[in-house]
Amino acid sequence: MMMEQREFDEDVMPSAIDDDEDVFKDLLNVPADWSANDCLSTGIFNSFDPNEVVYRVQKKPCKTVGKYVMGDLLGEGSYGKVKEVLDSETLVRCAAKILKKKKLRRIPNGEKNVLNEIQLLKTLRHLNVIELVDVIVNEEKEKMYLLLEYCVGGLQDMLEHSPGSKFPCWQAHNYFSQLINGLEYLHSRGIIHKDIKPGNLLLTLDETLKISDFGTAEALSPFDPEGICASSQGSPAFQPPEIANGADEYSGFKIDIWSSGVTLYNLVTGEYPFEGDNVYRLFEAIGKCNIQIPGFVTEPLRSLLVGMLKKDPKKRFTLRTIQTHPWFVCRHPRTSEKVPFPPLRGDFMHNMTVLPYLFNYHSCETPLDNEEEYITEQLIKDRPNGSTSVPIDDVNDPSKRPWHKPIMCNVKKMASCRLS
Amino acid sequence: MNFEPDLKQYTMCSVLGSCFSDRAVVFLGKHNKSGNLVAMKNFNLDSMSKTDCQLIQDEIYNTRQLMHPNLIPYVTSFLDKSQLYVVFPLMGYGSCRDLLRNHFVEGLPETVIAFVLRDVLLGLEYIHNKGLVHRAIKAGHILIRADGHASLSGLRSMCPIDKRSNLHSLPLQSANNLNWSSPEMLEQNLLGYNEKSDIYSIGMTSCELANGFVPFAETDTTLMLTQKVKGLIPHLLDCTTCYPYEDNAADNGYQSEETIGVNAAPVSSVYTRMFTEEFHNLVELCCQRDPESRPSAPNLLAHTFTKQVKKLNVKVTDLLRPAVPLLKTNVAEISDDLASIGGMSQQLSDLDLLTYAWDFDLNDIDDIVPTL
Repeated sequence: MMMEQREFDEDVMPSAIDDDEDVFKDLLNVPADWSANDCLSTGIFNSFDPNEVVYRVQKKPCKTVGKYVMGDLLGEGSYGKVKEVLDSETLVRCAAKILKKKKLRRIPNGEKNVLNEIQLLKTLRHLNVIELVDVIVNEEKEKMYLLLEYCVGGLQDMLEHSPGSKFPCWQAHNYFSQLINGLEYLHSRGIIHKDIKPGNLLLTLDETLKISDFGTAEALSPFDPEGICASSQGSPAFQPPEIANGADEYSGFKIDIWSSGVTLYNLVTGEYPFEGDNVYRLFEAIGKCNIQIPGFVTEPLRSLLVGMLKKDPKKRFTLRTIQTHPWFVCRHPRTSEKVPFPPLRGDFMHNMTVLPYLFNYHSCETPLDNEEEYITEQLIKDRPNGSTSVPIDDVNDPSKRPWHKPIMCNVKKMASCRLS
Repeated sequence: MNFEPDLKQYTMCSVLGSCFSDRAVVFLGKHNKSGNLVAMKNFNLDSMSKTDCQLIQDEIYNTRQLMHPNLIPYVTSFLDKSQLYVVFPLMGYGSCRDLLRNHFVEGLPETVIAFVLRDVLLGLEYIHNKGLVHRAIKAGHILIRADGHASLSGLRSMCPIDKRSNLHSLPLQSANNLNWSSPEMLEQNLLGYNEKSDIYSIGMTSCELANGFVPFAETDTTLMLTQKVKGLIPHLLDCTTCYPYEDNAADNGYQSEETIGVNAAPVSSVYTRMFTEEFHNLVELCCQRDPESRPSAPNLLAHTFTKQVKKLNVKVTDLLRPAVPLLKTNVAEISDDLASIGGMSQQLSDLDLLTYAWDFDLNDIDDIVPTL
């Protein structure tokens, strides 16, 4: 049951310990959402009556960066962690990409790519392009926080959790048309993304697709009508034949079309059009460009894929041809069950992970609540989602009107959150 | 009546207040041909961002689309160089927020609230029937006409809702409305929110109208969030819910400076007044944590508290005294008087002294809590 919730690995490793990491969790201080079976299977205890075990509730110390309150880890990339944060003034959920200078220096082009991403994102504003909300730099800790719009997850995550790792046609169509909308905007601004793939396509709570990760994107010279690019650092499986064959220069627009084609292929079939044991084999296959489209892919989708995955960039579809293609234009009936967002550490609703920290922060202020909180196995089972939340007061019970607790009078004056 | 989209057709009389987070001015204007008074919102488009312009556009669009006696009617709007003017009919009493600030610091009389709520609910029922969610109901967005009739404004955050899927994200620039927002709206999770979120805001607004300030006013926003998520139900302050400090001390450890302040005031009506059981009940129903158990707008219109309005034989305008509405007649008087004194700038400052302040949008939280 939810064994992956123990985030021990990152905390136990000495290299990872630093004041921004989650606090070190000793073994007896198990998370509140653990069941007795979890403890048994780890061999902490040999046998016991579950009701006799008392857990100490994990206190989540509240940390802030600027006006943002830090929440749980959302994901981890090569550049660093992505954590959920909450804007304490507007209460808008955001995601913070945490970049460490030390780590960036070790990655080729690391610092350059980050600056490139910030510069580009600052100028972009479109429904289908991720919005950079804020940038905070902590010189002392050599850290940088890129605050982005909150997204529930990426298409890659959803694919991995879906049967056959693919989407039903109508769902893929929804995401693909949003991708093309975003891409049209980017290309109109002379920006080549160069790394379109399901992993870089994120979805917000209301399923608006956001093109993200502009680390390798390139802004073309405004006086270059051809859109010639000369470098690419995108993911190998999504590279076009001209790059696989080692061309020096190529049309930037067409490589985004190709990778969008591979993305669409991946969304509807669950496979990649080209495979290889290693990058060389893969590039060899891409270079030859013999695509096999599975039989279940019927017209008009088939011709769209073929058009987007043309070996010759000049013959490859343009955005305009894609937007007028029959498969793109037609409405797809909702025939099969939707692939949902995979749960985050057991939470299907993707609740705000900042809340437990805030509960803790605000309860700490009152001396009475400052004592350690203990819970038993039975209590854990009684909780609906097993989160480390403070028990809900009885105020919801209609029979009891909380007369004695007029909150408008009683709310204490809060100093704004401490700075970490 | 025909109101021309041309600045020359109107005479600016005075400044009523500001709106749009203090970045737009509301003028009291006079339509030259008919002599009718209008409220003119003036936006300087040069100083607005793209999002701001979108919001202004949405407001005009939404207002134009809807037609109901309890929604602010659209008159006209026009550009004069980079200045955008949006014209609305004048609402003599201004917003409920203004009434609370200037005349009813400890809250409006319960009967007035019943009238106002009935009107607002009629407007809201219409909005919900159109498949829309208002998302910004608060006293500052309830305007009272000179005859005591209430209408709902602040339509810029309005959003269509699909029967099959809920809304998820907070409206743009909603930072000023957070205290009125429902817990499920603030949670921003996959469950989302629907038109029941407006009902919660009705509950919060009822408290605001009755208490003189909105629940969670002067509360840290993150604390407000945790309290709402935990399901704390705010309620009306009267002798049944509010005890003097001594009784409260044993109750819990956290006693605020505010309470002490309220208690120290010798003549606070909070401890002597009593709201009816129906009113308490209505607020309680609206502010429930579970959106599904909240009543709908038609349900609330059938509630005894709002239904009593039909039987009542009183005039809202009488109950609102000493507040007086801004009318064609008394504005003319003032203008004449001032004309003899002379000087346009003098007129403006004098009008301000007469507290004809009118505000569409409440921004500074400081004004919410009455100064005692």
